[in-house]
Amino acid sequence: MARFLMEKINQDVTLKIKNATKSFAGVTVLNNVSFDLYRGEVHSLLGENGAGKSTLIKILSGVHKPDQGKVILENKEFVFNSPKEAFKNGIATVYQELLVFPELTVAENIFLGHTPKTKIGLIDWKKIKADSRKILDSLDSHDLDVNARVGSLSVANRQRVEIAKALSQKTKVLIMDEPTAALADTDVKKLITVVKRLREQGVSILYVSHKMPEIFELSDKVSVLRDGNHVGTFNIKDVSEDLLVSKMVGRPVDKLYPISKGKFGKPILEVNNFTDGLRFKQVSFKLKRGEILGIAGVVGSGRSELAQSIFGINPSKGGSIKIDEKEVSIKKPKDARNLGIAYIPEDRGTQGLVKEMKISHNVSMANLDREANGILIIFKKEMQNAINAINKLGIRARNALQLVRQLSGGNQQKVVVAKWLQTEPRILIMDEPTRGIDVGAKSEIHQLMRNLADEGLAILMISSELPEVLGMSDRVLVMNNGTITKEFSKEHATPENVGAIMTQKVKETA
Amino acid sequence: MRMKSIFRHETILFLVVIVALVILSIQAEQFATIDNLLNQGRFLTEVSLVALIMTFVIVTGGIDLSVGSILGLSAIVLGVAWKKLGLPLPLAILVALSVGTLAGLFNGIIITRFKVPPLIATLATLALYRGLAEGISQARSIRGYPEWFFILGQGEFFGIPTQLWIVAFFTLLTGFILTYTTWGRATYAIGANETAARFSGIAVDKTKLFIYAASGFAASLAAIIFVSRVSTTRSDMGMGLELDAITAVVLGGTSIFGGKGTIVGTFFGLILIQILKNGLSLAGVKSDGTYIAIGLVLILTLLISNLFNRNSEG
Amino acid sequence: MNTQNENSNKFFSRFLINYGQELVLLASIIILFVVVSQVNHRFLGGNNLNTIFAGNAYIGVAAIGMSILIITGNIDVSVGALIGVLATICGTLAVSGYPIWFAWTAPILVGIAVNSLVGIIVAYAGIPSIVVTLGMMSILRGGLISVTGGDWITDMPEGFFLAQQDFMGIRVPLLALIFFTILMFYIMSNTTWGRSLYAIGGNPEAARTSGIDLKKGVVIAFAVHGMFVGLSTILFATQLNIIQSTVPPNLELTVITASVIGGVSIMGGTGTVIGSSLATILFAAIGSSLIFIGVSAYWLRAIMGILILCTVLADMARRRRVVS
Repeated sequence: MARFLMEKINQDVTLKIKNATKSFAGVTVLNNVSFDLYRGEVHSLLGENGAGKSTLIKILSGVHKPDQGKVILENKEFVFNSPKEAFKNGIATVYQELLVFPELTVAENIFLGHTPKTKIGLIDWKKIKADSRKILDSLDSHDLDVNARVGSLSVANRQRVEIAKALSQKTKVLIMDEPTAALADTDVKKLITVVKRLREQGVSILYVSHKMPEIFELSDKVSVLRDGNHVGTFNIKDVSEDLLVSKMVGRPVDKLYPISKGKFGKPILEVNNFTDGLRFKQVSFKLKRGEILGIAGVVGSGRSELAQSIFGINPSKGGSIKIDEKEVSIKKPKDARNLGIAYIPEDRGTQGLVKEMKISHNVSMANLDREANGILIIFKKEMQNAINAINKLGIRARNALQLVRQLSGGNQQKVVVAKWLQTEPRILIMDEPTRGIDVGAKSEIHQLMRNLADEGLAILMISSELPEVLGMSDRVLVMNNGTITKEFSKEHATPENVGAIMTQKVKETA
Repeated sequence: MRMKSIFRHETILFLVVIVALVILSIQAEQFATIDNLLNQGRFLTEVSLVALIMTFVIVTGGIDLSVGSILGLSAIVLGVAWKKLGLPLPLAILVALSVGTLAGLFNGIIITRFKVPPLIATLATLALYRGLAEGISQARSIRGYPEWFFILGQGEFFGIPTQLWIVAFFTLLTGFILTYTTWGRATYAIGANETAARFSGIAVDKTKLFIYAASGFAASLAAIIFVSRVSTTRSDMGMGLELDAITAVVLGGTSIFGGKGTIVGTFFGLILIQILKNGLSLAGVKSDGTYIAIGLVLILTLLISNLFNRNSEG
Repeated sequence: MNTQNENSNKFFSRFLINYGQELVLLASIIILFVVVSQVNHRFLGGNNLNTIFAGNAYIGVAAIGMSILIITGNIDVSVGALIGVLATICGTLAVSGYPIWFAWTAPILVGIAVNSLVGIIVAYAGIPSIVVTLGMMSILRGGLISVTGGDWITDMPEGFFLAQQDFMGIRVPLLALIFFTILMFYIMSNTTWGRSLYAIGGNPEAARTSGIDLKKGVVIAFAVHGMFVGLSTILFATQLNIIQSTVPPNLELTVITASVIGGVSIMGGTGTVIGSSLATILFAAIGSSLIFIGVSAYWLRAIMGILILCTVLADMARRRRVVS
């Protein structure tokens, strides 16, 4: 009966996008895009960065106005002048960078912008709290306190607050922009349950994500954008992952990870009983020349903290580090650099780059004091190094003087890599090396990592993406709750084995 | 791209300076004489020295409101060390410079070590340093400095006021450091993205400490020239100097949010303020009326420059 | 079962976190009173407290406006100069024979007008408020002196001196400070407008996507601040029988300090007006008690400076503990 009803409901088109076109400063970023969103369906939107996904979302949510084309919501044509207008008409958006107010409570966040008022115009706190509770309960978030300050919540819970905020008004269309980008695996599962429940309630969901497994688990349909054009809309049953990827990049992509030669040198880095007393404890491992050692683990397992302590950003409280079998002391990033360690941080925007600076200035940043003549910068050398890096890594930019903020995510990441290669490291720590960059650039970075390893560099890679860890690593360490719980050789590191260890441990500690 | 470089903030400012010069020399005959211009330079010295280092401070995304108070404190220390403690004047000068530098360093320590926002930290030390100046001096002024000491503030070298040589030297030095050295680059990087700078191995805290200490040093050097120029020491010297210096820096195009700014800009900012002050008073505007002009110029220049920058961005 | 108990515990800890700075200030004031009154009995006696607080209430009223502004992530360094200008307008009108109510209303209206203009420049031209108000300070200061020539205004008509009046034994300025503090605290925490100001300062991007008009919000915040500067001016201008054309030096910095020590984060988004008013009272009390203890007047400011610094450092330590 329910099944039958859903099929029936599915006939209704909730939202129609017709011939949407938008350009900025003469560059067309969205070209004549049309598709339909049905009631109670999850419709995934796929495309590389710069394909026009975010512009499309912003048009639907009222941030941008289309140059041409229409948005038709339940047979009524709309041009939204502001996000508020779109929201009032039933289109809610959960953005990737969560837009919550850390200082306000859960309930205040949920009802911000359309606070219910009492008759004399004051905020109706009782109603806010009761309604917030109701919405959160409907999302299976019974444990979330409506009076808690949002700043004290985990990322997953903040996201639930955002979703609740989206649902605090009669929502017909819910747009989710990479909702799982910052979530740990268990939280991803919970989120997927929530999305499925919303679908059952008849909400139409436009779901943007890079992660194929989710897309296949959740979606009814998938639309692919490429360079601002609508490549096609498919029933999820009719397509394979490879097909979708090739539609996205416009050419068949070599999906396989570059192959390891399996030849390693002597151990160069030896970490023993390393502890910071808080986020990780008693960590020991060895890293060999020419080897890519992967660390698998969920967000919050202490991986990044470990890497940052090795690199001297946060002090360690115990244990030792040996490089070439000699014990070393690393108190600040410069010490690490001088010992031949480089660290490519997980958050490119805040930790990796100075986006308002030129490519050349970013490339030289970590090595400038060595390249300089005393304290004098040698501009010619700096420029030449930047040009070499652009050519070597295939950074797509106008020239070396372009501002980094104008580059795409993949090219920005290459600038970070270039910066650290400039220091001629022997040990390279890469924290989420391909987070948030598109498929094409991703495989380029993977190839680059393998080439560097083949040249003798020792690489320690941290990643939340299990396929990446398994595909790239010569050896895999599983980290959980601050300790390394298991080591796998390449042969034994199957998704089942590694995943089992990760989830098993999570359950124990939860 | 080309449009942008034509309408750089410094270019706009340079044009404004030229226009002001032309109008003022038509309005007042004495204005464009060498003597007058050089003499004006004397009044520019103290704020210039402070503003040059303030440029570094603001480029790192910080601010130093305590410079006026450090100037007052250093002036008092100079007077007391010389007259009350009986130190030889050169030694007293050294003591005053050290106290100013230490005061700046103390600001830096509060900001880097205890993570207090610079605005608040220096707001607190603004009260503290001025208070120390008042307490030490007991509101008494000190006079009677030896004749040779006045060379600094009242004398000339090759026909040009002594302190202008000092200002010129520091302008070139700071301009050079900010543009051509790794320290300058670190200053910009810290202002534009402190975390990324730290992750790139730049010694963020050390750089900031050094800059705040330099700011204190500049204020105390200004104090000594000030005392030499007016032949007396008082505890209220340099009151409000911080806002004059910040005005010059911001007028010069340095972003108050950090990451952007040049010494050339600050230099033009200083010149514009001084020629406005002097030119208008020679043209018969009451001296306080010039404040109005400075305020207007500050807001209008930024308005225009923002307009152009916004256009060229899209 | 024991959820009741847990809830009240939770409530208590949340109260500590949310109003930590206010509690610290209140405790400091009480401790100060107890200690100083032990040393000198006259401190709490007679009309002393009334006089101290009434004389500084205008700073507190201006700090209410400043706190609202800082909460939205802006700042106003021209407030001292503006109070000077408004006081001159107020006095001149009263002396020139205009009705007293008009002389009192004018500073409020002019304050709103001037600050709305600043707000418009900040919001619509995108120039940071510290810069615009820096320029405005210069303009106002210059305008004031060139108009008055530094002359004092005297011979205001009887009935003009609002700040010298008593009401039920309490001086009017103190009453006004208490009234406006409670009013604004209530408005800031219980109206959508108040909430939107916190949103604008705390996370502008999020505020925008929540449908809050950032630009309008900033202009209105400036206008409200202008109104409080006007109210502050009335208290300032009517407390003595003369109006000097110079306001206390660094008044703007005193007002900003009161807001910040009161717990309003300079980054925007947090703080309450109760904190800034308590800070004003604390400063007034410290200043007066130092005199009562017998500290030399010359060292007053230095000791105040040290105390401010200590409060700032204690606040930073408290915040770090709450975060971790």
